[in-house]
Amino acid sequence: MGINTEPQKQPAVKLEHVTKKFGSKTVIDDLSFEIYGGEVFGFLGPNGAGKTTTIRMIVGLMRMTKGNIFIQGHSVKSEFKQAMRQVGAIVENPEMYKFLTGYQNLVHYARMIPGISKERIMEVVKLVDLEDRIHEKVKKYSLGMRQRLGVAQALLHHPSVLILDEPTNGLDPQGIHDLRNYLHELSRKEGVAVVVSSHLLSEMQLMCDRIGIIKKGKLIGVETVSDFMGEGEGKVRFTVDDGQSAAQIVKQKLSLDAASIESDAIELAIEHEKIPVVVDTLVVSQVKIYGVVSVTQSLEDRFLEVTGGKSVG
Amino acid sequence: MANFLGLIQNENMKIYRRNSAKVFAAILIGLLLLGALIVKLNAPEHPTQDTHWKQSLQQQNTQYQQALTQMKDNDSYQNYYKSQIAINQYRIDHNIAPDRQMTLWSFVENATPIMILVISIFTIIVVANSIASEFNTGTVKLLMIRPISRTEILLSKYVSSLLFSLLCLVVLFLFSWLIGGLFFGFSGGEAHLSYINGAVHETSWVLATWQNYLLDAVKLIMMVTLAGVIAALFRNGGLAIGLTIFLMMGSNTILALISQYDWVKYVLFTNMDLNQYFNGQQTRNDMSLGFSLIVLAVYYVVFLGAGWLFYTKRDIKA
Repeated sequence: MGINTEPQKQPAVKLEHVTKKFGSKTVIDDLSFEIYGGEVFGFLGPNGAGKTTTIRMIVGLMRMTKGNIFIQGHSVKSEFKQAMRQVGAIVENPEMYKFLTGYQNLVHYARMIPGISKERIMEVVKLVDLEDRIHEKVKKYSLGMRQRLGVAQALLHHPSVLILDEPTNGLDPQGIHDLRNYLHELSRKEGVAVVVSSHLLSEMQLMCDRIGIIKKGKLIGVETVSDFMGEGEGKVRFTVDDGQSAAQIVKQKLSLDAASIESDAIELAIEHEKIPVVVDTLVVSQVKIYGVVSVTQSLEDRFLEVTGGKSVG
Repeated sequence: MANFLGLIQNENMKIYRRNSAKVFAAILIGLLLLGALIVKLNAPEHPTQDTHWKQSLQQQNTQYQQALTQMKDNDSYQNYYKSQIAINQYRIDHNIAPDRQMTLWSFVENATPIMILVISIFTIIVVANSIASEFNTGTVKLLMIRPISRTEILLSKYVSSLLFSLLCLVVLFLFSWLIGGLFFGFSGGEAHLSYINGAVHETSWVLATWQNYLLDAVKLIMMVTLAGVIAALFRNGGLAIGLTIFLMMGSNTILALISQYDWVKYVLFTNMDLNQYFNGQQTRNDMSLGFSLIVLAVYYVVFLGAGWLFYTKRDIKA
């Protein structure tokens, strides 16, 4: 089992030119990407971009208009059962039968896949820390407990692909921390391909190895989190008395174009080592410097930048 | 196959663990008790022993004969009077006096039509909820992402709903027998007289009762299947329940309005009452048991096909 995201021979999940139309409206447009065992893949996009539609097509709840999806090499279209045997999932909210107990819910799902023992059910219950309340009716559960029960049902049959839609929804910080560690463990130690969608971008930053960004049904890019962050790095903000003249001086003497010019600041896209040179030049030219800060973009800023500043969902 | 039994177990769990299951049981047994109580309270304390019952039946028969000649055009009345005359004659010939009082078995018999209607309504509720409510609650998503085809899931829901009505029939039989016995005495009651193909037969009450149940169950199965189709189409349990019960209750009124047309014999509701071929009270003489069975089979296959398409071929957006 790989330690990082190096592609293995066969992708755990493979989307091939997946297109979905509702009537004449194209909701998902020619989506192709691959997810490998041993990685946590984040699926990002603003509301209505088609994240949930894509997840629904992966688990067979919706049919694709064109293209195909393979799970461990099995087509969701033509080998639905073999494909689904590999998948554990929560789609949107983990809706369970409220009039049944947590345990009865798990027994219900266990009966649908051969070979799940009572011991395995209890093992999963222990894993999500619901031992004390598992024999209570689900209607008495808090949102966080329902979420954990949802994770439990997704893990029952040792899936090699785990798809979690907004998994941290309703979890407390400790719960989020535990889930994150567990997902890492699953992907690193057992080689499970984990697909996560979340609107908590900072959470994604900590949880995911690679991120796929989808906007208006199109895939904008698939990048590793470090590449994703890296593109935004290297900007340095100089707070000065006169932004305009500072920008001119840097342009004339160092032939650097300012990334942004404000009345009291400029931002330059320069490497770390060049900062003293710029400071020297500005000081010599009698520009007053009040501060030098290197600007790192958060995933969220980067996300807004890529998706065109739309609200995040 | 083991997997399919698991699916049936799942659906059973979802039917009987709901609070509605307790309500169904309470209504079923409560209605039987109420019926028995009303009959008991209204019964005369000292029933008059009619020693001239043979004469009374004879009189009744001459009245029926007159009615027969007046009602020449109506198959339904014709057949009804013919059967009553034949049974009365059989009683006179074989010296079997009609019951003056409610007995265990006449209670069981009288309870059958209304109670089977109640069971039909329960099963319509069960099947409609089983198929549609998971779309409303969202549980259908976690149900459908298992390595099981939607056809198997739909079939398990349908079969477990029919098993529910079978269980209801068993409960009905046991409790109407028990309550009938407790209120009207476990002894008494002679053989059951039935009129089939122009002849009167004596049969056992247990057999006659179950024959009744099973013949009524044909209507039940058709209505439950229809409810399932509507539930699969609209993914709305309330609509399926309301529409099916409306059709079931209103069918007689609608049929009466259109009874003069010849094509009425191809209408589902005309053919659902198979009892008419066994109690000699056929509504139209241009129909037969075989005819009705074929018409029902055609409707049934169409229902199953439509329900299957609606359930398995559409996207799940819940």
